[in-house]
Amino acid sequence: MNSSTQRAGRHRNIVVVASVVLALIGAVVVLLGIHGAGGPPQPPANAGQSASALAAPTPAAAGTPMTPNPGASPSATANHTRGTDLGPILIASSPVAIAIPSIGVRTSNLVNLGLASDGSLQVPRDFSSVGWYTAGPSPGQLGPAILAGHVDSHNGPAIFYRLGALRPGARVTVGRKDGSTATFTVDRIQRFPKDHFPTALVYGSTNRAELRLITCGGSFDQKSGHYLDNVVAFAHLVAIPFN
Amino acid sequence: MRTSHKLATLALGSAALLPVLGASTAFAADGNVSANLKPVALNGVNGSGMASVAVKGTTITVTMAANGLLAGSPHAAHIHFGADARHECPIASDDSNKDGHLNTTEGGPAYGPVVVSLTKTGDTSAASTLAVDRFDTAEGGKISYERGSIKVTQSVADAISAGKSVVVIHGVDYNNDGKYDGATKSDLAPNLPTEATDPALCGALSAMPAGGMQTGAGGASSGTSNEGMLALGGGLILVAAGSGGFSVRRNRARS
Repeated sequence: MNSSTQRAGRHRNIVVVASVVLALIGAVVVLLGIHGAGGPPQPPANAGQSASALAAPTPAAAGTPMTPNPGASPSATANHTRGTDLGPILIASSPVAIAIPSIGVRTSNLVNLGLASDGSLQVPRDFSSVGWYTAGPSPGQLGPAILAGHVDSHNGPAIFYRLGALRPGARVTVGRKDGSTATFTVDRIQRFPKDHFPTALVYGSTNRAELRLITCGGSFDQKSGHYLDNVVAFAHLVAIPFN
Repeated sequence: MRTSHKLATLALGSAALLPVLGASTAFAADGNVSANLKPVALNGVNGSGMASVAVKGTTITVTMAANGLLAGSPHAAHIHFGADARHECPIASDDSNKDGHLNTTEGGPAYGPVVVSLTKTGDTSAASTLAVDRFDTAEGGKISYERGSIKVTQSVADAISAGKSVVVIHGVDYNNDGKYDGATKSDLAPNLPTEATDPALCGALSAMPAGGMQTGAGGASSGTSNEGMLALGGGLILVAAGSGGFSVRRNRARS
């Protein structure tokens, strides 16, 4: 083994060691990236977007006449014979609590929301509170009641962090100021780009009592400090509460 | 010569574009508005509802649902707007004749005249204000209404988008006998009882929230920085594999 071979051997060893070190660093960086890459759960592209979701109210939901009967939960009547079936309907009453057992949401920290100066829906100041859009229906009235919450704060998950994991059929109960409870079942959950938000679909009139749960989703834009999408859960009032 | 001709064509072309631009600014009034329909003051209807109007150019689409109305009787329903009106639903103090109810005329200062008749078929202009045979009869006391392609004037479209119009559903059964009757005649048509035309439910159409909402601060996001780390790590591994493979090949060549 002459000196030139020795030099080549040293060189080769250096290259091998350097490669191993590089690979190790790369693996660590990848692991770190994966570890932090969880983010809030997102709805699958087709979660519950059944064709019937936008159609007429469920035939099983019987119409409940408007009665000045605060404190009563919606009750089914057998009146299927005449009239437009709008499903169960409650009188106006502000929401005071919300529970979504399947994603671990339960709070009585509800706040009122109006419109911001740019015409967009205000958001709750508090990352643990749920906001109700007061210019819309109250939960249980005809039309979509709007409840919104943050997906995360500056340093961790917020009240609606797991909203994207909600699935069709899940139950949402909303406690109301009049003592009644409005029970909703989730029809579908969708993600919309904020710059192509389907305003009328989310906020527009419906022919039954519905609920919208809104939070953020998609990619987080570090430049603007905002998520690019909104996650919206669509639900409707059911007559008979689940067990 | 040719160049100046081209320039002239160009100038003409841009001039021709101007009216198009002008027309497009008219569409700036496109919008989505909605109203919660509530019982009209003094008229004692135990019902509610919601109405939405989508404005596109001078065409509107109206969706509306309501309950608690007198069942099986026609309920005239309109979009009202008056430049001088208050753009809101009438209140008890609008009862100028002090009879304890608000009739349609008394609501005028609040919501103005009819600009769209929400008929199920045919004409939708103010001429159909009392087309009782073409309005929803609220079977079971409920109305579920949707109608698109309703033409309105530009000023009405603008007023609706600007949140200045009001939806009113008429028809009240004061004596709860299941029909429109009573000695008092309608202020709108002397052949009808006032029950048939008095306002029942009302809501001022205002803009729906615009666009999405900012409900996240990014503290639990997957974030672009993490994707950056994934790319960096992957890149480092590739470089390592490349150089490692190179040195192995050299080794083999040598032996």
